[in-house]
Amino acid sequence: MDSSINENPSPTRPRWRKVAYGGMQPGFDDNHTDETFLEAMVMNANVVKRSMLKVMQDSVSISQYLCIVALVVLVWTCTLRSTLNENTLLLLDVSLLGLGFLVLILTAEMMSLNLLFHYFINISFFTTGLYVSAPIYQTLTRSISSDSIWAVTVSLLILHLFLHDYSGSTIRAPGALKNPNLTSCISLNASVVASVFIASRLPSRIQVFAIMLFSLQVFLFAPLVTYCIKKYSFQLHLWFSFGLMVLTLAFVYMLHRLLFVLLLGLLVFVTVVCPYWLIRIQEYKFEINGPWDEAKLCFDITE
Amino acid sequence: MGDQKRHRILMVSDFFYPNFGGVENHIYYLSQCLLKLGHKVVVLTHAYGNRSGVRYMTGRLKVYYIPWKPFLMQNTLPTFYGTLPIMRTILIREKISLVHGHQAFSTLCHEALMHARTMGYKVVFTDHSLYGFADVGSIHMNKVLQFTLADVSQAICVSHTSKENTVLRSGLPPEKVFVIPNAVDTAMFTPAPEKLSHNEIVIIVISRLVYRKGADLLVEVIPEICRLFSNVRFIVGGDGPKRVRLEEMREKNSLQDRVEMLGAVPHARVRSVLISGHIFLNSSLTEAFCIAILEAASCGLLTVSTRVGGVPEVLPDDMIVLAEPDPSDMVRAIRKAISILPKIDPQVMHLRVS
Repeated sequence: MDSSINENPSPTRPRWRKVAYGGMQPGFDDNHTDETFLEAMVMNANVVKRSMLKVMQDSVSISQYLCIVALVVLVWTCTLRSTLNENTLLLLDVSLLGLGFLVLILTAEMMSLNLLFHYFINISFFTTGLYVSAPIYQTLTRSISSDSIWAVTVSLLILHLFLHDYSGSTIRAPGALKNPNLTSCISLNASVVASVFIASRLPSRIQVFAIMLFSLQVFLFAPLVTYCIKKYSFQLHLWFSFGLMVLTLAFVYMLHRLLFVLLLGLLVFVTVVCPYWLIRIQEYKFEINGPWDEAKLCFDITE
Repeated sequence: MGDQKRHRILMVSDFFYPNFGGVENHIYYLSQCLLKLGHKVVVLTHAYGNRSGVRYMTGRLKVYYIPWKPFLMQNTLPTFYGTLPIMRTILIREKISLVHGHQAFSTLCHEALMHARTMGYKVVFTDHSLYGFADVGSIHMNKVLQFTLADVSQAICVSHTSKENTVLRSGLPPEKVFVIPNAVDTAMFTPAPEKLSHNEIVIIVISRLVYRKGADLLVEVIPEICRLFSNVRFIVGGDGPKRVRLEEMREKNSLQDRVEMLGAVPHARVRSVLISGHIFLNSSLTEAFCIAILEAASCGLLTVSTRVGGVPEVLPDDMIVLAEPDPSDMVRAIRKAISILPKIDPQVMHLRVS
């Protein structure tokens, strides 16, 4: 009687093993789900926790670029309405060029005189080329109606903003690490084509040259200048962006009330609403990793 | 157990003969086994070239090649209701009682499962591969799978890792998923009659030479092994986009006499290639259940493989040496395999697999 308490009423079956050989494991069905099921699954291994303040600070780059594009469109509108004449435009061009150079000299670590001279030569070639080809731009779209031009320009600008590389600059200083990717090249081309279309609506050659120089300066070199500022000092970058936003809002207010409201709404959306939204939906992220993943090669494949 | 009810089963998949691969073999052998048990089996697949209509294969296996052209990677164009008329005709004409779909990647299979459930037939699904969760194609396919498998009667996976993967992707309750590993025809894969000498060790690789099967790992590993061991020879069978890289590697390291490239090997000749070697090397990056390993073990070869997916479950630890998918670890594994090679007896291994 004592022995019957000690012995088991039924023989213990061997533990279930996660193997495919050996046929059916005795005592277990084919659809047996063990406690070790999904034991090796790893959830959200690569997901980074974000803080609201950091995301808002990072979104300042986007709103800064939006303001720059708004300013360019402002100058275009004023020129097309003949509010700005060509001398003012040329003065604006030269002062922007000078400011850009100043910023580059002040913020770059390795700026030798040779490199500066190199830049200066390139800019001179660029300007001369634009001046020589200004007549071509002037007569480019004469047969196309204005409405088509405004529509195409707006869509190209939206494409440009959508595909723009906000973290860096497509035009890099020599010796930069990353190559520009396809979308940033497409966005740059879209902005250049938009400037050409606008320039072709203007009556005189000097105006065409001045507006082309202004647009290309801003679209090609403004990302580089802002990238240099951001790299130099983040505080300076924040103050610069804030100043730029105030300036843009002031100018747009003087031009048109409704556009001012729209621009203000857009800036608030980008800077405040979007970071909050991102952090809210981040908690639903479910990244699954496990033994079923395709193995990653740890070496680069050189063709 | 008494007279079981005779079923009439319809196997549906985009992948069947004359296309060649694991899924096709599985469907064929499974059909043959079911026919031997007395059930009736009909296979439904799309037309291959001008092979269209009804064909009969061994054992009175009826195959319907419905006249739909494949449009992407042997898959038919997914029109949601386009195949309904012909499937309904076949289901009623053959008096089917059970529909068995194969392979998640096959659009014909998904459509058949959907139509069969609409008409109230019992449905079983078998998944043969592992898929990820992160890229666009996988996300799309997992959504389709969730929809199709919502109502399936049972599901079958080929390994426990595959079961976990399928349950996560499709949201099925785990009790509905059965794990039934693939099998190999051991009568066809017997070892060489006399044991090979161990003076020169021959390592065999037979696989499609694509990225997924780890052809790039081979390119790193083969020169290293040939450098470390002077008595090792490689035989590489199979073809694919990465073959060029292997040829380049062969030229660059002057291994023409030590690495033999066979090109595509037809399935009938696989055994003769396998029995000429001692070790089978499998370097794939993802594998639900590697049937090539089982074929090699049945022929008495010691296997060296990457530890991915369902591979650790396939063979017991003394018949396989596992390595991480990293060239240095694979070299270590091959070194270990060469050292335990003298203890391996091919006939014993074959009997264990049988």
